[in-house]
Amino acid sequence: MKRKAFLIDTTRCTACRSCQVACKQWNKLAAEATVNHGSYENPPDLTPLLYNQIHFIEQEQGDDLRWLFINRRCMHCADAGCVKVCPSAGALYHTKEGLVAYNREKCIECHYCVSGCPFDVPRYDTKQKVTKCHACSNRVQNGLLPACAKACPTQSLKFGDRDQLIAEAKAAGKKLYGENDLGGLGVLYVLDDEPGTYRLPKNPAIPASIFFWKDVVKPLGILGFWGAVGVAALHYVTIGPKKLDDADDQPRKGGE
Amino acid sequence: MTNTIDRFGTASRVLHWLVAISFLLLVLSGLGLYAHTFFGYFDLFGGPQQGIMVHKWAGIVFLIGSVLLFLSHAGEVCRFDADDRRWIARLGGYLSRNAEEIPQGKFNAGQKLFGIFAVIAALVMGATGLVIWDPTAYSRELTQASFLLHSIFFNLFMVGMIVHVYLATIGNPGTLEGMLYGQVRRSWAKKHAGKWLEKVVKD
Repeated sequence: MKRKAFLIDTTRCTACRSCQVACKQWNKLAAEATVNHGSYENPPDLTPLLYNQIHFIEQEQGDDLRWLFINRRCMHCADAGCVKVCPSAGALYHTKEGLVAYNREKCIECHYCVSGCPFDVPRYDTKQKVTKCHACSNRVQNGLLPACAKACPTQSLKFGDRDQLIAEAKAAGKKLYGENDLGGLGVLYVLDDEPGTYRLPKNPAIPASIFFWKDVVKPLGILGFWGAVGVAALHYVTIGPKKLDDADDQPRKGGE
Repeated sequence: MTNTIDRFGTASRVLHWLVAISFLLLVLSGLGLYAHTFFGYFDLFGGPQQGIMVHKWAGIVFLIGSVLLFLSHAGEVCRFDADDRRWIARLGGYLSRNAEEIPQGKFNAGQKLFGIFAVIAALVMGATGLVIWDPTAYSRELTQASFLLHSIFFNLFMVGMIVHVYLATIGNPGTLEGMLYGQVRRSWAKKHAGKWLEKVVKD
């Protein structure tokens, strides 16, 4: 199965938020009451009931306003921090299309994925289960586009074979974000500015502490456990225990 | 003249076994979070959520118990003399069949070092455990660092505990009696804690 991906051309996005609405409709996510905070951006961040969100970057340039929009969501990393730290095998997993989906039944409510994600994506719902964009894996498996990509009227949001999307973008002379980071992201961006402007890390990576925890300390610990058991057993049969001299315990008669 | 000498009082023994049981519970309930291989250990507690809950509360018992245990022995554990330094230099004679015994106080230098390590490790495990009690309560960096430290000190603790259990049971026959019944044999005290025996006899 060829790896699937989103290609999001932010220069074509008009912030119509059809993607937000289509996602809510397909995934049966209720609307949330929000507060006006002086921007058309709404809601201002991902929530347990909002798997993808148009983030507004509003920059005042003299009398003018620069408006940039970016669709934020799970990046469907090949080397996914959330999958790496999740203690429950199969709770967070890669589908055969290379997308990061999850099984709520297997979520053990530990919240580790929140720490493992380099993009601050996973949210927990009121039942303390993980939620995030799963690329409508149920639709994709049946040959349909994810709801957001289906709804996008400007072709800002495309979904398809990852290699093909990359080849097309490159042929059109576009620079891509996320082609090789974290084993290649499942969400590729065409940006109109530096990644930092869009609140994206320039070089996203698994945090060093997570790497040491899972890839160094864990195997060393298992080695250490059996090493210690082995050394103790070896000591017992080679050098042996410090036996007591029982003569000292013989009852002593008074005066002797 | 009896053949046994009082070594640990009732309160001291109960506290030790409380710490030991909570340690065992912590290992069994924590292994499921450590690696996928051990996920099945959660079944012992009726499921992952219940296992995590046991882990949290056993952790509180273990932290408080460890600190109390250390404080109750701190006087002997934190004092090292010339014999202790010799003991450490020769690794307690554990690497030879016929090593001479270096006279030791109530605890030998290795036990003292383990006691100090154990309380430091318990404090680190406790502090990082409180941070990851709710992994979304603090900053990502602090939470991530806590996961790392929690796993490092767990590994050290596990290795230390295997050595501790080996040396306190089959490695040194007679030692366990002190922690089970509170009394040790005179021959044990003479061999393992000569200076302590002299002091106890004098008193």
